[in-house]
Formats: sequence, C-alpha cells, structure tokens
Amino acid sequence: MYSVNPEHAIGIVGGLLALPIALIALRMHPRWRSVPGTVRAAAVLMAVSGGVHLALIPHHVTTEPVTSVLFLLNGLAFIALAAAFTWRYWRLASAGLLISTVLAYLVYVGIGLEGPDQVGLATKLVEVTALGLALVPVRGEAGRTHRSWRWATLGVAMPMLLVITGATVWIVDLARPDPRHVHAGALLQATNTVATPAQVDAANRLYAATKTAILPYEDWHRAWAAGYRPGGSTTLPSSHWMNQRYVEAGYVMDPERPQGLVYANTHQGPVLLGAMFQMKSLNKFGPDPGGPMTAWHQHENICFTPIGFEFSLMTPYATCPIGAIDISAPPMLHVWIVDNPHGGLFAVDIDSSVVAAMDRS
Amino acid sequence: MEKAIETSRPEAVFVLLLLQSIFWMVAGISALPFAIGGELHMIGLGLATLLVALLVCLVAIGVLWRRRWARRTALALEIVALAGSVLQLLLPIGANHAPVTLLTNVVVPAAVIWLLWGRMTRSVFS
Repeated sequence: MYSVNPEHAIGIVGGLLALPIALIALRMHPRWRSVPGTVRAAAVLMAVSGGVHLALIPHHVTTEPVTSVLFLLNGLAFIALAAAFTWRYWRLASAGLLISTVLAYLVYVGIGLEGPDQVGLATKLVEVTALGLALVPVRGEAGRTHRSWRWATLGVAMPMLLVITGATVWIVDLARPDPRHVHAGALLQATNTVATPAQVDAANRLYAATKTAILPYEDWHRAWAAGYRPGGSTTLPSSHWMNQRYVEAGYVMDPERPQGLVYANTHQGPVLLGAMFQMKSLNKFGPDPGGPMTAWHQHENICFTPIGFEFSLMTPYATCPIGAIDISAPPMLHVWIVDNPHGGLFAVDIDSSVVAAMDRS
Repeated sequence: MEKAIETSRPEAVFVLLLLQSIFWMVAGISALPFAIGGELHMIGLGLATLLVALLVCLVAIGVLWRRRWARRTALALEIVALAGSVLQLLLPIGANHAPVTLLTNVVVPAAVIWLLWGRMTRSVFS
C-alpha cells in the first residue's frame, strides 16, 4: 500500500506525461477561457487519469486482457471527457465515470484482482479531486446550473468515496499482506524459504547464547543498572527497554549487548520476554544466520509521537495524527525466551495471549 | 455552457480543503484504536486531529463564502503544513516519499497557497 508496484510505475510516467500535454492541448480549445477554472482543472485531472490508465495497458495486455480492455475504454473516456468540457451533459457524464472508476478499483482490490499500491491510490485521489472540481458550483455561472444536485452529490460522494477507498485499501493491505510484509508495517528481510540444517543449528546457537546472556535481566533492576530504559507507555501489554549506549555503539547481533529488552507489563512488575537486536541504519538488514528463522524486520510508515513515546499507523492517505510524525525504525530481530507458540523464537511479535496469561498468573 | 464571471479559485480551494479535512478525519479516527490498545496519549492526539479536521472543514466553508478570516487561516494552516511536510521529507527519519505522500502533504498545501496568494485573489475576499 505504501510502495509503488514496479509493474505499475509506468502509470506514473503516463500520468505525468499526460499533464503537460493536456495543459497545452486544452488551452487551444476555443472556449477554454469561457468556463470556470474549476472545470478546466477537472478536465486536466481527468486527462491525467486517462494517461495513467492507458500507460498501464501494455503490462496487463497478455496476462489480464479484460482489465486491459477496461483500461483502454476508461482511458479513452477520460480523455474524451477532458476535451468535451463544454458539452451540456459533461458534469453528469464526468461524475458518473469518475465515481464508477473509483468503485471499480475498489471491487478489483477487494476481490484480490489488484493489490493496493501507490499508483492506484494516487490515481483515485486525482479522480476524487476531479470529481469535486467538476461538481462544485461556482459563483456567477449562467444558465441552468443544477446547483442543488451538484452540492448534494459533492457533499455525499466525495467524503464517501474517500472514506470507503481508505478503509478498503487499509483492510485489504492488513488482511492480505504481500509475502515480505508481516502484521502492520513490518518489512521482512528477504531470505530462502525453508531453513537448511546448518541454518537451524546457527539459529539455535544464537538463541542459546542470547538467552544465557539476558537471563540476569529477569530482574529488571539489573537491566536498569545496565542502562536499559523503558520506552512507551507501561499501560501497554509489553514495553521495549532500550539501551541507548548499545544503540549508538552499533553492535551487530551481539548476544551480550542486545540493543533492547522486551518486558511484559504485569501487575507483578516487568517480566522479561526476550531481547531485541537493532541495526544502526535504515534499510540495512543484519546478518541472517538462521535464514528464514532469523529474518530481520523493519517497521515502516509508523506515526511516532514523542508525547508518551507512542505509535500508530500512517493512514493510506499518508497522514498521521497531530503531534505524530511518519518514521521508519531500523531493522530489528527479536529473540523470545518465553514460549511463543504462534510465531516461534525469533518472531516479529510475541503472542498476545502469552503476555495476557503471564499477567493473570 | 457557463460563462466565467468571477474567479473560481475559492471553489477550487474549498474542494482541496474538504479533501484535507477528510484526510485529517481519517488520521484522527485511526489513532483511537491504539488508545483502546493502551496508548492513552493517542486519545488526546486523535481528538485533537478530529478538531483540526473540523476546523479545516469550517475554513473551507469560509473560503467558499469569501471570508477574509478564512483565507488568512487557510494560508497560515497550509504554510505550516507544507513546512512541516518538507522538513519531514528532508530529515533522515525514514519518512515515506511515495506519490500519495507527495500529493497529500506537498501538492495539496502548495496548490491551496498558490490559489489563495496574491492581490487579485485577496480582493475577492471581503
């Protein structure tokens, strides 16, 4: 959702190429100056969307011929309507085409024919903006302007389309992440799919060394004395305690000096769950002795707020709550020293039921 | 078709601010599940974001009605938003640089500033 599908990147090129062409070509229209700027802007944006759709045809034509035909019809219709902005039924036709195009995309994404990506989302934003500009009544319009139905459609369609698009794309992205994305916003290191016997041995050695090294920190006072400090709210089920000295030193997967410890926040106090190794820089995954067993992960597009050191997820529209900024965390690898039935010893997350059971005991 | 008698810039700004208002609304709502999960400060941030969404919506209506306060508020909001977004994009914090980020956080605020800037546009607002 937050990245450009390489196969769709050509769509951006198509849209960017269509923009200057539309601006130049439409200005030559004899009645260009006689219509409001909102209509002109809507026409240009529809031409951009047409350019995106037409550019996507070559990639889809062999594998998805039906989609290619729909892209062709859609692209041509957008370009025709962009040029026909003086037509009597232009608003009605434009609104119909824009709304149906956005809804068709959501159906495609919803049933899994397309994965949500930045090209699709950006194009839908352009189309919803074009819809708003095409419909918004302008002061001083002459003739039958149908202001009431235009306001009604604008007031309902724009918010509804944006909310439904955001919700659909987000739900699909969380429910059907691609193979390298696990839970929300974590990008996994690329590895082989099945661990070799040598990788299993190496993972077990790493686990044993790490567990032995961090066991003293079951007493959280010793972790505190070693320089580990809790980050984030202690009202959460678990907290990461980071050692800033180890983070800055940049130790790489050193069992004696893990950058973080993870504690369950129980009524009896912090209970050690495991360790966390963290790399110093973004996009540089650490060594991977256990292959798929010890794949590192990098949290991307998280909204971080220094107020309470809390996190939420960036929305599909690339916005964070007020007071939070979009960041990515450098690659990390967890080693869980407690039983983690649903993920394993090096899973991205600890099973929430394990933490809950710990708090009840 | 229709004849352009006066500028339609306020209407275009209304559409863009309405979009922004919905983006803020989605961001505000998205913070609330994290508050339920134990991140208590997210309640405040989520509600503050929803208030900003409401403010942007009211400013959009004010711009549509060609109110001078609305133009000034919109310009101030967008300049702050644009500066914050540019800073976030330039800092090495791993912020997203994808097309939607650029559209919503850079292109939309820049377009609003461009549409509201200048003496000609200012004269439209009472």
